Amino acid sequence: MDIPYGMIAIVAVAVLVLYFLLRTYNNLVRMRANLRTAWSDIDVQLTRRHDLIPNLVETVKGYMGHERQTFEAITEARAQAVSRAGADIATRAVAEMALGGAVGNLLAVAERYPTLKASQNFTLLQEQLTSTENRIAFARQHYNETVRQFNTSIAEFPRNLVAGTFGFLPQPMFAADAVDRAMAQVKI
Amino acid sequence: MLISARMSTPQTASAQAFTVRDPETFFKAQKRNRRATWRMSALSMFAAFLMGIPLTLVLTPLLYAVTLFIADVINYFSPLPLEFWQNANNLARLGVRVADYFINQRGTLDPQELAIGLALILVPGMALALLLWAGIALLFRHGGVGGTLASLNAREPNQADLKELQLADVVQEMAIAAGLPAPKVMLVDSSGANAAAIGTSPQDARIVLSRRLLDDLDRDQLQALLASLVASIGNGDLRIAFNVTSVFEAGGMIITLINAPFGRRSRSTLWRVIRYALRRAPADQRSADADEVAELLADTLDVDSTDIDRFFNQQNPGFLKKILRLLLFPFMFTNIAVEITLWFFLNVMLGPCMALLWRTRRYLADAGAVELTRNPDALAGALQRLSQDATTIEGGEWASHLFVVSPNGDSTLRGANPSDDQKRKALAAWKATEDLGGTASPAQATATPAQVATDEYLQMRKQIIAAAVAAATGDAQAMVRVQAFAQSMGADPALGMHGIPNLSDLLLAQRGNRAAIARLRLLRRGRQTESRPSRRGRTGLQTKSFISFHPPLNKRAKRLQKMGAHMIAPIRRYGLGATIFATIMWLIFAPMLAVVGVAMLALIAMMIGLNLLFLTLWLTVIHWAFGQDWVANFNGFMKFANDVAKFVSDVMATANKTSR
Repeated sequence: MDIPYGMIAIVAVAVLVLYFLLRTYNNLVRMRANLRTAWSDIDVQLTRRHDLIPNLVETVKGYMGHERQTFEAITEARAQAVSRAGADIATRAVAEMALGGAVGNLLAVAERYPTLKASQNFTLLQEQLTSTENRIAFARQHYNETVRQFNTSIAEFPRNLVAGTFGFLPQPMFAADAVDRAMAQVKI
Repeated sequence: MLISARMSTPQTASAQAFTVRDPETFFKAQKRNRRATWRMSALSMFAAFLMGIPLTLVLTPLLYAVTLFIADVINYFSPLPLEFWQNANNLARLGVRVADYFINQRGTLDPQELAIGLALILVPGMALALLLWAGIALLFRHGGVGGTLASLNAREPNQADLKELQLADVVQEMAIAAGLPAPKVMLVDSSGANAAAIGTSPQDARIVLSRRLLDDLDRDQLQALLASLVASIGNGDLRIAFNVTSVFEAGGMIITLINAPFGRRSRSTLWRVIRYALRRAPADQRSADADEVAELLADTLDVDSTDIDRFFNQQNPGFLKKILRLLLFPFMFTNIAVEITLWFFLNVMLGPCMALLWRTRRYLADAGAVELTRNPDALAGALQRLSQDATTIEGGEWASHLFVVSPNGDSTLRGANPSDDQKRKALAAWKATEDLGGTASPAQATATPAQVATDEYLQMRKQIIAAAVAAATGDAQAMVRVQAFAQSMGADPALGMHGIPNLSDLLLAQRGNRAAIARLRLLRRGRQTESRPSRRGRTGLQTKSFISFHPPLNKRAKRLQKMGAHMIAPIRRYGLGATIFATIMWLIFAPMLAVVGVAMLALIAMMIGLNLLFLTLWLTVIHWAFGQDWVANFNGFMKFANDVAKFVSDVMATANKTSR
């Protein structure tokens, strides 16, 4: 019986190609899912900040009764940020930046009140807010790294063939300059 | 705020002068990590496989005997084909034919037949070893490694305490940065400062650290250290550690099984393992149990008086024992061979290999930490600070390789002398606290600003130590002064270098902690505080390898420097003379070590050879007892026995001749 080497070779090559296709597709799908998780992580941290701020305002109101302007500014900024929770990245980014600024402002003003600084509640709350800022920054960092990994992946040959066929598009990074540009258009 | 770099709490000042290195190299490092995980798992499996070869000596004769017995029984009812008996016969004679071929240059050897025969002989042992390893891995999966640590009065962080709240926050931040589920954090109240990641996978990982660590490091340094742990979790180090320890445990299990028919200790160990497998206990208790059983199994690997030895060395045995001894004598030889082989394989070959591979994981975890925090200075500072501290945590000996810094202490990073800048800073800070009472500080040298007079510096050191001891014994004013000084120096990791006692030591001593008071007294007498562990246990994965699982701190610091860290204290460099001396020593000793290694391998090969001979003897005896053609077999057997006797006597004669 003649062993059909040609046939075997063709079948083997076909199997290999199929395997490669499957693996690449699955990897890309996984990476895209990671991307979405990373994005929602940022969302989670932003919401956390929204929730912490009323607590902060209540804590410091007792000590800093006269700083009405600061309180109004931060409450307003928070309301703005919450109202834009469903909007696109540019509008959200602007509002969140404003909120971050207002928080920083409030904390800076609080520095002038030694009784407040000595309060245990305030130090704990301050730590929580610092941590929230850090978490937002780290979530952004993680998202950007995931995006970079994804974009590089779908650009490499031969993966870009699979990516192109199945519609994996490069994603934008949560870059600072995008926010800057948006900021420049809006007066704060 | 979204754009800015991370904020720190007002108390800490962190220099963020980090030039971003190519982020792609970090990603590539991560990819390499994942492949290395696969490699180390494969290595562990291969090791488990190899462990089966010595096991063959015990298992194959048993299987052969059973097969022949069953074949005999079947043959009684319906005769088996002739080929079966021929094959069985050939298998038994295989060893003889190999010996004939190589020693007497007689007969032929078919490579295919040899391969099949070898496979048939070796497969049962290897299969069993692999099964044992898989079984042990399954058994200990839920216990994980380091379970004892977690059950050691470990508590959750108290969210009402600022430091512990910072700890909880920092872990969350690092988990977010790494994209991992946040590991559970447990605090242990111990006098050592260290942290470890335990568990078997990123999903059930836990971080255990001592309260002392929180007091010693500031927020950024704590973040960097925990980033290193989180990075190692993300790199899959937990799985690797688990696989490595399970190989050693499987080895111990093999020896326990072999010894079990002979002695009580092995039987009790076996019983404990079974009991652990069947018992239902809460998770933490289970993991503590797992550690105990694991230690027990690994202990059996140490070659000392085992049950078999005792069985055979017992004086004045009874008559029954004498008969048993005679019958089981081959077993003793076999078992000793198995034990020595396993010991050599695990402690001399596998252990050091694993240690070196583990060091690589540590370096990569450090790189991961820098990637996560973008702040190599923090990690460098943390390492330098920890090099001054005692780092042993009681109860964590078995998991010593999981700690972020070696629990046995590491003095490679303790700087020889503080730099001039540091001296000046310290003098200025001490002078500033003058108004808080106590002796007047020495005047600063004004003549040569570039050179700080050593006299003033030494004087200051004496004053600081005196004030610290006074503070420890209850002088409140001195305490205030020392605290103010420590505060103004910041969390300068060089604090320890000035001979200044650890602030937490002072606090502990005030509360009456004996160990802290002892350390302060040592400091007062001018000696460096030694970070020796209180008891050097026989246990611990570290004892399985003479090479440390932890890379030396100065090497880690150097790598951090390459990543952009600014070390506050200069890393001690070895002079040219020392390097030359070390090289010469290595050139002398390395060949010697190689010779010793080869000799040991030759010894083991000889023992295995002798045992294969025994094995063939056994097989032939069994075949003679159960096989078909009794007369021919008997003749063959006698001839074989004669051959063996002649061979042995030849060897003895040559040995005698050469020894004379």
